[in-house]
Amino acid sequence: MSAPTLLILFGSESGNSEDLASIAEKQAKSLGLSPSVKGMEEMEIGDLDGAKNVLIFCSTWGEGEMPDNAVDLWEAANGDSPPSLSGCNFAVCALGDTSYEFFCQSGKDWDGWFEKQGATRLLERVDCDVEYDDPAAEFTTNALTLIASAGAGGKALSPAETSVESEESSEETGSEKAQDETASGDLEGLISSGDRSLVILFGSQSGNSEELAAKISKDAKSYGLVGEVHDMDGFDFNSLSGKKRVMIICSTWGEGEMPDNAEDLWQFAISDSASRLEGTHFAICALGDTSYEFFCQSGKDWDGRFEGLGATRIIVRLDCDVDYDAPAAEWTLEALPALAAVDSTGQFHEEMVDSIKMYVSGSSAGAEGDDGFSLPKIRSEPVQVGVTVFRYDPETSSTGTDTWICSLHGHMSVLEVLRTLKSSQDGSLTFRDGSADDSNTAISVNGRLILPGLSRIDSVAPMREGAISLRIEPLPGFEVIRDLAIDPWSLERKRESSDPWMVAATREGAHTPQGTMGTMDPAVAARIHSMRDFGSQNILHSSSDAVPHANGYLGPAVIASSWSRRNDPRTSPSKGEEIDRLLSSPNGIKAETDLAPIKRQSSVPSAVSEALLEVKNSVLTGDGFNGKHGKHVWWYTWTVKSSGMVNDTVIYRQALGPFALLGNLFSGVTARMVFGFTRTGGNVFNGMLGMVAPPAGIGKMPKQFNSSVDNHHEVVAIFNEMDGRF
Amino acid sequence: MAMKYAYHPGNIAHSSATEVSQTMEPTARSLGIELLPMNGATSCGAGIIRQANDLLQVTLNARNFAIAESMGMDIITPCAATAGNLNEDLARLNDDPLLLAKTNEVLQRTSGLTMSGKLSIHHLLHVIVDEIGLDKVSEKVRNPIDFPIAGFYGPNMQQEGACGEDDVFDPQYLELLIKALGGEPVMWESRTQSVGVPGLFSEEATVLRQIASTINDAKSEGAAMIVSACTLSHTALDIYQGKASRTTGLSTNIPVIHLTEMLAFAFGHYNNRLAQLRTRIAVIGD
Repeated sequence: MSAPTLLILFGSESGNSEDLASIAEKQAKSLGLSPSVKGMEEMEIGDLDGAKNVLIFCSTWGEGEMPDNAVDLWEAANGDSPPSLSGCNFAVCALGDTSYEFFCQSGKDWDGWFEKQGATRLLERVDCDVEYDDPAAEFTTNALTLIASAGAGGKALSPAETSVESEESSEETGSEKAQDETASGDLEGLISSGDRSLVILFGSQSGNSEELAAKISKDAKSYGLVGEVHDMDGFDFNSLSGKKRVMIICSTWGEGEMPDNAEDLWQFAISDSASRLEGTHFAICALGDTSYEFFCQSGKDWDGRFEGLGATRIIVRLDCDVDYDAPAAEWTLEALPALAAVDSTGQFHEEMVDSIKMYVSGSSAGAEGDDGFSLPKIRSEPVQVGVTVFRYDPETSSTGTDTWICSLHGHMSVLEVLRTLKSSQDGSLTFRDGSADDSNTAISVNGRLILPGLSRIDSVAPMREGAISLRIEPLPGFEVIRDLAIDPWSLERKRESSDPWMVAATREGAHTPQGTMGTMDPAVAARIHSMRDFGSQNILHSSSDAVPHANGYLGPAVIASSWSRRNDPRTSPSKGEEIDRLLSSPNGIKAETDLAPIKRQSSVPSAVSEALLEVKNSVLTGDGFNGKHGKHVWWYTWTVKSSGMVNDTVIYRQALGPFALLGNLFSGVTARMVFGFTRTGGNVFNGMLGMVAPPAGIGKMPKQFNSSVDNHHEVVAIFNEMDGRF
Repeated sequence: MAMKYAYHPGNIAHSSATEVSQTMEPTARSLGIELLPMNGATSCGAGIIRQANDLLQVTLNARNFAIAESMGMDIITPCAATAGNLNEDLARLNDDPLLLAKTNEVLQRTSGLTMSGKLSIHHLLHVIVDEIGLDKVSEKVRNPIDFPIAGFYGPNMQQEGACGEDDVFDPQYLELLIKALGGEPVMWESRTQSVGVPGLFSEEATVLRQIASTINDAKSEGAAMIVSACTLSHTALDIYQGKASRTTGLSTNIPVIHLTEMLAFAFGHYNNRLAQLRTRIAVIGD
């Protein structure tokens, strides 16, 4: 089946719309669509003939004018022979600035024009203010998802679904879909899909209306509504024409007058320029004072005007006296569920109002315990998640990544995401499945090594610009079988080579009621247990950045396990010596080049990383700080004691020895140090030393001698107190 | 008013990374940071003294903290390894009152100092993003560093509690800063990985592979230059890149500079060095 085609048009003055079009193109490709992006100046109006799916990103310029690159197309569109666009799906994202009178006018014009030509609106136009990133991203995701599902017949993701699921219909439009959802009595579908905005306008003189609007907006969230609170001052009245839910909270001033911030909007509303509001449901809360003659007159005026413009009153207006808190709260409990029962097409589902009330009050959510205790239903808002998964096909030896853009709830586990992708997107996706705490399921997400069943997606990656980006890869340091599935046998073989079995010491038993048995001090038992109490040996093994590069290195998992056994008092002395030899071997702890990457993994308990440091201490001390490793540590520590500062020259010379120094001379290392000034632009000679005792002090070659830090005797005293070996 | 910090230059800014100390001072001046020297401060131990004696490193750093506390200031450093090690030891002392008490006993006996733990350690990068603000940094740019730049964090500073508000594994501070300086940040996977500096002299073969793999990753993502927030890693990535290439066969020639150099150049200091850097990027390649 060929990929559905998509024409993405942009009308742009400053480049913002063009950027959005480019982003949409990339996203469309990831959803399997075949997009083409065109500036409106590249188009003839006839080119639209036969288009199946069209996305428009268009800004508005000046006094509601088309941007320069869209002017010609718009003129042609309004010419004598506009094309018929029946069978064409479209959606419009309009960019604008609410500080201008004709906010998003160009987008509105295109929206109306496409509808007029018989095209089907996929979803409601989005009118973006100057902060357009988030609404535009949401629009793009929703629009593309609908197009993909329409074209692919069941492979795409629906933006507001709680998880990634297959769509049922291949030809369903957005509005039909919304109707179907609600017709089937799907409460979740109604309150979580499509446009859920609730415009709350306040006309306020003293601030009470504004405060109430803010409170209602917050409460609206519980009903699946997205409250948008607007000051009436400067608000574009005609932008209400596309809105499905509007609430007005307005006080009255003086002799039945509008408050100052509402006067201009009112004048516009009663003018001939005001748009009709068919399809809009409204609710009005009027604040006033019964001691005045024209009690709540402003609210009454708005009520009448909205009705006059064709809007539908969803609940009887509330007229509040000066003590408005309680009646307003009571009214809100009726108004919000009623508004929430208006779906994204503007249809009111009266039969759902009671269900919504019960849902929000908690009586239909969660589980009831025997004692009447109600378990809360844990919910979180859906977020946009970009999931990039490493892919490897052993048959073709090809690697790459696949990316899905989904709308998911943050509380989903990474394992649930993988399962859903496999079931709904790509059945060939391979990963190790299992119970939530199955250590074999371990993977890497953005560098974090995790058990995916125990990790929420919003805990493994930061939320940025309203979205989460997951880069899912197999654990590093293992061979990959396919996609995310690794071959754990490389670690098992290393574990086997460490002779991990117990060789018990002969110990004196203690006489207990259960018979004679060996005993162990509880503190010792806890300590040796904590050393190997890592959830997944695969994760611990992978946490070392040295493992993928150090051939033969046993890795931290084998070392921590061996160290635990070494400290177990039940282990025989000969087995203890054997473990010591293993740990100090070239493939033991010395092969670990840096413990910091292990320590920072939250999946690695601190007791384990501390145990690894203990192993290093033990091995270096046991070897008397001999060998390159020991000398490096010893001379580093010694130079700090001798001057308070590191002396690289001493460490370099003492740790490497004459042969390695000679090797570095020929390998270019020494040359790059001496000629460091050619790269840094720094001094050729660093002080007199560079001239009298070269090469030290030339370029990046460190000096041979350090001057001591102030109060150096204190440093020496600390060394003498803490460790007399240096 | 200038922000005042007790300045710990890191472990090798006085020796094999003099360019860091040279560029840190004018950078701080441009940013409105006053650096006050921590007279008597020692090496942070770089996680290496810890391998010999854990408590010795903690005590030496406790003395460093006591010096900063006596100055009434938090510590700033341009070295990610130093920031990471100091933060780690400070957290241990603050989390373990018994250890703090015992360490203070030793400090009192040996140097007459004690520490309370009421200070914080900052890497320059975090001060810039969290305290100064990238918008203010952008205003000070005279020479945009307009290359594709791979920012290297290393693992030491990328620990919970040591990297400001940034994410441990998927950080963005350096990328945001590069953008603010007019550069094009390159996204690459190895930016928080270790290049194995603590094992450089002892496990050279492994470390060379780590260095080569890291540089190669940056290059394959299109970087024209690497900027490192860690002085130790910066030096290893620069000096050992030729040997790493010969050992592994990977392409590793690329200019590697330190964060303070990039900032100084962007703020209009050392224009000749910036010109030289441009030449290296455009013509020489490393």
